[in-house]
Amino acid sequence: MQLIAGGADVHTRCDSSAQALTYRAREGGILHRRYIILAALSLAACSRAGEPIYIGVAGPFSQSRGASMKLAAQLAEQQLRERGGVAGRPLRLIFVDDSGVDDIAVRVAKKLSDSSQVVAVIGHLSSGPTRSALAVYVNARRPVPVISPSASNPDLSGLSPWFFRICPSDLAHGAQLARFARQRLGAARAAVIYTNDDYGRGVRRTFVAEFTRLGGTVLEEDPFLSTHTTAEPYLARMRQRGGVDVLVLATQRLEAETVLRDLRGLGLHWPVMGGDALVGIEADGPLAEGVRVSLTYLADRTGEDNGRFVAAYARANSGARPDHRGAGAYDIVMLLARAIEQSGASRPALREYLAQVGRGRPAYEGVTGRIAFDQQGDVPDKPITIAVVRGGRLVTEWAP
Amino acid sequence: MTWRRPHESLTGLLVLGFAGLLAGLLLTAVLGVVWLGQMRRDLEHELGSLEQSSAMGNGLITSAFDEIRAAERYLSAPTPDAEQAFQQAADDGFRFERGLEQLPDLSVEDRVTVLRIKQLQSSIQVDYALAHALKDLGRERDAAAQAAVVRDPAQELTRLVRDLGARQAQRSGAAAQRLGERATRRQALLVLVLFAVALVSVMVAAWTMREVRGPLTRLVTAAERFGGGDLRPVTTGRMLREFRILADAMRIMGDRLRGIVGEVVGEADRIAGSASDLSAASEQVAASSGEVARAMVEISGGAEQQRNELNGMGRSLEHLRQAAGEIAESATRLAQLGEEIRAVADRHRGDIQAASGALLDVREVVQTTSTQITQLAEQSTAIDAFVDLIKRISSQTNLLALNAAIEAARAGEHGTGFAVVAEEVRQLADDAARAAADVASTTAVIREQVDDVTATMAAGTAKVRGLESVAEGAARGLAEIVAAVEQVEQAAARVGASALQNRDVAEHLGGQAKDAGGRAVSHASSAEQVTAATEEQGASTEQMAASAGTLLQAAEKLRSLVKEFRV
Repeated sequence: MQLIAGGADVHTRCDSSAQALTYRAREGGILHRRYIILAALSLAACSRAGEPIYIGVAGPFSQSRGASMKLAAQLAEQQLRERGGVAGRPLRLIFVDDSGVDDIAVRVAKKLSDSSQVVAVIGHLSSGPTRSALAVYVNARRPVPVISPSASNPDLSGLSPWFFRICPSDLAHGAQLARFARQRLGAARAAVIYTNDDYGRGVRRTFVAEFTRLGGTVLEEDPFLSTHTTAEPYLARMRQRGGVDVLVLATQRLEAETVLRDLRGLGLHWPVMGGDALVGIEADGPLAEGVRVSLTYLADRTGEDNGRFVAAYARANSGARPDHRGAGAYDIVMLLARAIEQSGASRPALREYLAQVGRGRPAYEGVTGRIAFDQQGDVPDKPITIAVVRGGRLVTEWAP
Repeated sequence: MTWRRPHESLTGLLVLGFAGLLAGLLLTAVLGVVWLGQMRRDLEHELGSLEQSSAMGNGLITSAFDEIRAAERYLSAPTPDAEQAFQQAADDGFRFERGLEQLPDLSVEDRVTVLRIKQLQSSIQVDYALAHALKDLGRERDAAAQAAVVRDPAQELTRLVRDLGARQAQRSGAAAQRLGERATRRQALLVLVLFAVALVSVMVAAWTMREVRGPLTRLVTAAERFGGGDLRPVTTGRMLREFRILADAMRIMGDRLRGIVGEVVGEADRIAGSASDLSAASEQVAASSGEVARAMVEISGGAEQQRNELNGMGRSLEHLRQAAGEIAESATRLAQLGEEIRAVADRHRGDIQAASGALLDVREVVQTTSTQITQLAEQSTAIDAFVDLIKRISSQTNLLALNAAIEAARAGEHGTGFAVVAEEVRQLADDAARAAADVASTTAVIREQVDDVTATMAAGTAKVRGLESVAEGAARGLAEIVAAVEQVEQAAARVGASALQNRDVAEHLGGQAKDAGGRAVSHASSAEQVTAATEEQGASTEQMAASAGTLLQAAEKLRSLVKEFRV
């Protein structure tokens, strides 16, 4: 999908293409028996003391959006090594670059699945590659548990019992934005400009539903694409129709920048907000000043653990701040370390453990917040905060 | 047993054949059902995906056109209705795109096309939305320009959707062809399996037929042979168990029949032999009896003649008595001697009667066995002895006559008449001797014949010995006669002393002659009795022979019947 998208900015985490994967029940039945046998074999093979435990980490590490994920994961690995390993054995991360492309993701997934030493995979970063690779992981002779830090497409929910993610789906963001607009900003009239794809439509739909439910009025819902150079007619019409209290940009960063430029060009100063696809826009200076973004994690998030993590990350990476992908990767490594300590270093054991986190076992309190999986491997309870661009930086404005 | 080696019994073969046929048909049916099920599933799958993709493709293109139409309508006359229709068509378009994406067996090329369609539709929608905004703002020219941008993407969209449909159709066609080929292949395979089943069935059936027909033919042939009387052992060879049991039963039956027939044949042969022997013996006895009867008739005739002659002699002796009174004393002595002779002869007659009784015994014996015929031979010997007696009597008489002639000559003139009488007596004696000789010769012939008969009859000699004793009795009597005759010779020597004596002798002689005649009569009647007895015997013998013949015929028939059996 990224290939087709061409010039579109698809390196945000919310790849919107919805390619549903269906797994046939009868194959699952046969495989299930195999799992048990292979699990026993791998358990025997992996339980030798002193041997490293390997976890695969897959993402577009050659791209800027994947950098934080890799650095944070390496930080976690470093910290675990300093603690003396996991269950007396060193934990090793194997980083494989999928370039954010489905084909490559499938190939690296094959490699990781076939490796008898890899007990789990962290990844992939965005929804498209995650979905493609997942077909390989769960259909392997020995299925691999997969946890993604940021693949947020709603279609991934409940796709496989072997898949987990620690970010809420895109749909949660729209609802949270509506609540913020209606309750915090007191907005009565809103307009939505959305990227005309699955992501944009999804966020738009949940925003409109929640905002209307809370008594607000949605003036317009206008589709937009990065291939179009201007959204000025929409904005002019909004102004003609009496303006709005809040403008929601259910778009990627590139479209948002276009709309913001048009908005400034018309001399309008309506409050603007969007989903976490806008992250990075804070770098645009005055254009993005005051724009609000819904987030699951922000480096300035309160909490001792997060403080220590951000400080350690900054120390290790010359003052850089981790984004939600890095923080997520960090949490996943630590969660897996605990799972290995408590249930052993085998693929089925880890899957069983992860499925019980928050359901039979205590939730995991990570730097990104409380992680508790539901039946579909989602984290519905994970809080979404609203950040605002202040002085070129995202700062938390509302954390319910 | 049947189940361990089923090919060796008819039941086993039939069960095997039917089971094989059933299994083959079952296999064919199962294969057919499984393959049909597979084909049905594949077909359903293909049809389902075709239906889905065609529904999605049609829906997509329809929604795209609806979207364009509604958008254009809004541009010409902006109404909320047109706006809503536009939104609806756009949403439908996205729905169909998602549906297309989710089709499970979409090729990479198709996916690329779907993504492109999605992009184009998104783009068209945005273009029209912007145009609508411009229209709402009253910027008609800008709106028209914005709407014009849509045309190229709309054309491309139409083309892509058509291409997708064409590819789907092509894919469906390929799938149909694949299915068709597989159906043909499986059909051929099914036909092959059926053919194989049929072939195996035919082979089993042929084998069964062969296994049935061969032994059955052999058994039928054997049964026909039995029916035709050929009881030689049945060679069965290898055959099914049921037939083997039948063949065993037939073989045992044949064995038993053969044994029985063998015994019957032996018995028949033996009976036939016995009957044949009996028949032959009976015939011989009958023949012999005939001969004896004829001989007896002749004897009877001879005796009659002798009686007549003796009567004549009596009359001459009367003349002699009257003429020669002086030799009466001698004649009286002679008469006494004659009485003695008669007593002896009486004894002889008794002996003869005993012989008759013995002959009766012989007849009785001959009725059961042929051996007693030999006694007949002995009886002929008795006849001989009797004939000898006659000869001797005549010889004696001749001698007496001669002596009488001498005495007469010595008496001179007184003796002339006596000499004539003596001559007559001598001639009568000669005649008697000749008659006796005839009887002897006849008897000799009889004996020869009886001897022949005796030669054929080995058994039964013991009975004849009874007759021998009779003959011995006769012999003894004859010895006494000889002694008496010697006394007569001595007495005759004294006759010369007294003519009275001569007359008495003559008187005695006359009485003696009479007696002789009576005796001859009794001889004749005796002979007649013998003849009758012999004839009776012959009749009985013939009856016996007839019975023996019947027996022989029965035995022969039996043998010929039994001969039909080949053992």
